[in-house]
Parts: sequence; C-alpha cells; structure tokens
Amino acid sequence: MPMITRRRLLAGSAAALALPAFARAQSAIKPRLTAISQWSAGSDGAAITALGKKFEERGGVWQHSPVPGFTTEMMNKLRAQIMAGDPPACSQLKGPEIAAWSKIAPTVSLDELVAAAGYEKVVAPDLAKLHKPGGKWIALPLQIYSTNMLFLSKRAMDKAKADKIPVTWADFNDLAEKMKAGGVAYPIANGGTRPDDGQKFEASLAGISPAAYRAAIMNLDKKALEGPEVKAAFVQVRKIADWMDPNVGAQHFSTNLKRFVDGDMGMMIMGGWAQGVLRNAGFKFEDFMIAPGPSDNGKPVFLLNADAFIFWQRKEPDLQAGQALMAQLVMDPAIQTMYSQITGSIPVRTDVDLSGEGWSDGQRRTAAALKDAIASNQAVLSVAHNMAQENGLTAALIDVITEYVKNKTIKPEQAVTRLAEAVESAR
Amino acid sequence: MVRRLPEYLTIWVPLLLSAAHLVSFSLWTIWISFTPSTLVPVSGWVGLRNYTSVLASRNWQIAFDNLLLFGSAFVLLSLVTGLILAILLDQRIRGENVLRSIFLYPLAVSFVVTGTVWSWLLNPGIGIQKLVHDFGWTSFRFDWLIDRDMAIWTIVIAAIWQSSGFAMALFLAGLRSVDADLIKAAQIDGAGPVRMYRRVILPTLWPITITVIVIQLQFAISTFDLVRALTNGGPGIATQLPALVVYDLMFQRNLLGRGAAAAVLMLLILLSVLLPYAAWQYLQQRRAPHA
Repeated sequence: MPMITRRRLLAGSAAALALPAFARAQSAIKPRLTAISQWSAGSDGAAITALGKKFEERGGVWQHSPVPGFTTEMMNKLRAQIMAGDPPACSQLKGPEIAAWSKIAPTVSLDELVAAAGYEKVVAPDLAKLHKPGGKWIALPLQIYSTNMLFLSKRAMDKAKADKIPVTWADFNDLAEKMKAGGVAYPIANGGTRPDDGQKFEASLAGISPAAYRAAIMNLDKKALEGPEVKAAFVQVRKIADWMDPNVGAQHFSTNLKRFVDGDMGMMIMGGWAQGVLRNAGFKFEDFMIAPGPSDNGKPVFLLNADAFIFWQRKEPDLQAGQALMAQLVMDPAIQTMYSQITGSIPVRTDVDLSGEGWSDGQRRTAAALKDAIASNQAVLSVAHNMAQENGLTAALIDVITEYVKNKTIKPEQAVTRLAEAVESAR
Repeated sequence: MVRRLPEYLTIWVPLLLSAAHLVSFSLWTIWISFTPSTLVPVSGWVGLRNYTSVLASRNWQIAFDNLLLFGSAFVLLSLVTGLILAILLDQRIRGENVLRSIFLYPLAVSFVVTGTVWSWLLNPGIGIQKLVHDFGWTSFRFDWLIDRDMAIWTIVIAAIWQSSGFAMALFLAGLRSVDADLIKAAQIDGAGPVRMYRRVILPTLWPITITVIVIQLQFAISTFDLVRALTNGGPGIATQLPALVVYDLMFQRNLLGRGAAAAVLMLLILLSVLLPYAAWQYLQQRRAPHA
C-alpha cells in the first residue's frame, strides 16, 4: 500500500478541485481511464464496449476490467482495490451505495463539469440526490430502467378476449381472473429470485400509493410502515402469488418467457430490461405489449432503477484527464442515446427525443411515463434493485417479502409487523 | 542435523505457513466480529452486539435449525447408505471395480454441478414429477423443492448422492481389513452371514464409523455451494444454512462485523464436533499401550 502523506493528500485534493481547468491546460496529456464494472456479456457488455470506443475516438486510453457475475462480486474487487490504496479511476456503483462507499475513500467532485453541461435540470430530482451525497456530484447516472413495467402476452389476451391494458390494480385483477377463466394456466409469469419477489411488492405498494411508498420504504417512517397501504400491498402481493406458477423454485424470470409468449402465462411485472431479453430470445414486438405498471390514481408510477459511475480520486494527471472526459461522455445526450439503444433502457436525460429510429414503443412509453411521473411526483426509487436503501436494509426487507410470497400461511397483517421489525433490527 | 535439513524444510515450512495462515486469519475474524465494521474493516469495540444481532435474526435461527436437521439426517443416512453399499460390494461379486468407481464417482463432481442437476431433477415442472405424470400417473406428487417444509430434504438427497460413495469406500477398506482368523473362528462356531456381520465384523468397524461421522459432519457444517446452486436458501428463506448467512452478511449486506460474528459462531459449532473427537483420539492412544 502506497504511503499516504499529508502532502500527497493535499496535492491530490488540490488537483481534484482544479480538475476541469487542469484537464484543459494539460491537453498534451493523453487521457486514460481505469474502470471496473460487472458488464461483460450480452447487451450490457456490448454497450460498455461501444462507450469505450467513443472514449478512444476522443483520444483516450480505455482500460475496462469487467468483473462478471453478481454486482457483489464487482464490489468485492472494488473493496480490495480501495483497501490496497489503488482504486479504479471510475467504477460502477448505484443508489445509496454511492453515499456509503464515498465514506471509505476520497471521490472526485464533478460539480464544475455538471454545471458546465447544464446537467442537473434534466435529471429526475430523487435520482440527482443519490449521486450528490453531501451536496456534491461524485457520481453520474448512466441509464434508467423502470422496475414496474407491465408486460402482457398477446396470446393470453386473446384467450381472455381482452384488449384493454389495465390501468389500476382492480383492472389488473379483473384481467387476471379473465385470463384464468379463458384457459391461461398461470396469469402471472415470473421467476423465483429475491429481486423478483421484491418487485411484486414494490410495484403493488407504489401503485396503491406512491406517497405511502415514499414514506414507508424510502424514508422508513414507522407510521407509514405499519399503515393500511402497506397491508393492502401485501394483500395484492398474495393475489399475484396465487396466480404464479409455484414450480418456478429459484429460477430466473427469463426461464418462463416462452410460456409467457405462448399464452400459457399472461402478465409479467418486470423491469424494462425484459424487453431486451425477449427480443434477444427471438420473440417479436407483436408477441407482447408493454405498459407502465398498475397505478390506482391513474397516473403512471415510475420505480426508478439507474446504473451509475462513481469517480475515485487519483493523483495521476492522465487518469484525471480521463475522468473529466468520461464524465463529459456520460452526460452527452448522443452517448446516452447510443447506450440505451443497445441495452433497452431509457436515457437519464429527460430532454432526449425518443421519436426517432432505433427506439422501441416500449422505450418511448417508458420515457413518457417517467416524464409524467416526475411531473406528478410519482417517480420513486426501487427497493428490490437497491435504489431506495443500502444493501443491508434492502436485504432485511426482501427477506420478509420473499418469505411472504412463498409461505401462504403468513397473513398480510403479520407481514406488516415483520416488515417493521426487520427495519428496526437492521438499522 | 545438516544432512536432514531438506527433510525438516519440507515438513516444517509448509506446516508453519499454513498454521500461521489459519491462526492469523481466524484471530483476525474474531477481532472483526467485535468491531463495528460494515463495508471495510474498522477498529472499535462493540462488545457482543454483532453476536446478539446475528443470534436474534430469523435468518440465523432458520439456518441453525436447518443445520441440526440437515447435519444429522445427512450424516446418518449417508453412513447407512455407504455401509449397505460396502457390504453388498464385499460379497466378492463380479465387476466390483466398475461398481465401486460408479458409486465413488459423484465425489469427483463439483457441488455446484450436483446442485444444479438436482435442481432440475427435483423441479416438479420439469423433473421427476413431470416424468411420472407423462407416464400417466398424474396424481403423483414430488414437489419438495418448492415446499418450504420439505425443501431441506432435497439438499439431504443431493448431499447423500454425492458423498455416500465416500463412506462406502472407507467402510469397504475396513471390511477388507478384518482379521481373517476372527472370521474363521466365527465360522467354526457356526455363525451365519447375518450374525457374522452383526456380531463379528461390524463391531471392528467402529473407529472407521467415527472417522466417517466426523468428516461428514464438518462437511455438513460448511455446506455452501450445494445449497446455493440447489435452492439458494429458498423457497423464501426456508433452506438457509450458516455458511450462506455468513456470505450474505459479509458480501451482500456489507456488514463485515456481523458476518464475522456468524463465522465465529460456525467455528464454535465446528469445534463442538472436533474437540470431542480429538479428546476421544487422545484417550484411545493412552489406552492402547495397556491393551
């Protein structure tokens, strides 16, 4: 581990403060970026490779080391590098983990770059807050997914003789009953993983009341946690659970996509990424419909999940120049367009026009839903995908939810008590 | 002394290195378990707070109950299966070598592979239950994998499949090393095969039995990859095991202190098996010269 002397630390922070000016002044330096992320394969891998190409086109040296597997494996590598005093110039990290990790190693302030790009006013406010813990921008969101999109199987809709997309939970429940009556074996398509169960709950609660979701799950308000909306959400989750195929065990949702398209399963509450998975599996846009998840007040509710990059302080001038270049690229609407068109997400910037070629209807509808949801203050942070709380608390909440989904002897009111207790003991 | 230096080096250097490794990291983990560490190790003292919170968590309680059930069922059943296989193979049958390899072979397969394959076989929608349904017996039910009360037994099944061959190999070696004079004497006294095994051969096997129990128990306590691939702790959190809880706390919840506390609790469980064994061995050795 290199010795961190006071002088070095001072020099490092001075350099970081002067970063943008420094980068301009030292234009002779070839920008270089060391980055780690979990994106190695599929559309994620293709997207970050494309980003790297752009970085190189601007004269930079791109050194990306993917850590395939779960996000936690990427985090273990990041932890090891930070403890060895050698963090990457930039790494994938998201949600409240940005604030937590920024406490263990110095980060780069991106305020000047963000101000120069006029970025702050085109980012959803709740999302912006996550990337500037302590008031300073230290991380930049890269792309957005909604975790509560509703996917409808065309063939299942035909079996139910329905063509209307459900708006409220009551509509949703009606349609599920119709599908069941029309011969759809399981009206809900799903997997059995923890985030999958978590998504059913967050979609239910936020759809019943975004305000209650914000208070109970994002702010952990005790009264809201034990409130009637949370109980109603658990009641809705049980209905959903009863319409699922119990045989999925711990399978991934993608295992059942064929049965979903075939109309053997009817509806799927899943993140926008499922569109990419469906398309990659060779299914056509005519096979399914995409709409925002059910919302009882009729206006779209958007459960935000956003990938981001955090920038770690380095003293090497070429890495600092690389960080400045990377930040500019990530905020660039053209780059965000390129990235989202590869992965199927939507851009972080709310001012990107999605009417052109390369965007799907699902992406357009998602972007429109985000705009509406921000306008009506119904854009909230997903708990199932680690956006609302730090990993420890999230896991404690999901424990209760996943047990409730799989154990039908637990009553909704018991689940409410357990959820409040889990928050209490994890704090 | 100088002449024997290479011998000393080959024995003592690796031994000291691995002992230092083991001891220093164990002590480090014990120290971390008393600190408020979360994302990274930090110094500080929180007393037993990490322990009380782990012991009070539902995850740990379920994991501990599961360990008791899984540990005893797995050890007992793999012991019985292994012994039966060994006795059957001991009947001087043809093709013994082939059969022995077949039964021992699962041991060469990684637990992740075992877990994944069994997760398909046991899945009611695509596995054994589906097969029997397709044969026409549609009321047949075998859905333990998704039944939270029975799911732990699927891990027992897969673990037995994997490691009863190991018990068999040890027992077979034991059966083959029984003193031929003893067997002849019993035959002269007119003992039949059942009586022969019950009264003469099996009693000589009990040191091997103890060894098998201890090895299988320490395997049971540290089971991780098998359950991760087979049920991943599910349905819900019904098949949690202590090793899963440790991994989950340390690397998924970023609570190093609590994870370390759970790891130390696992070490204590392990010691509760190993210490009596060590004591027993010590007593055996002391008794041997008098025998």
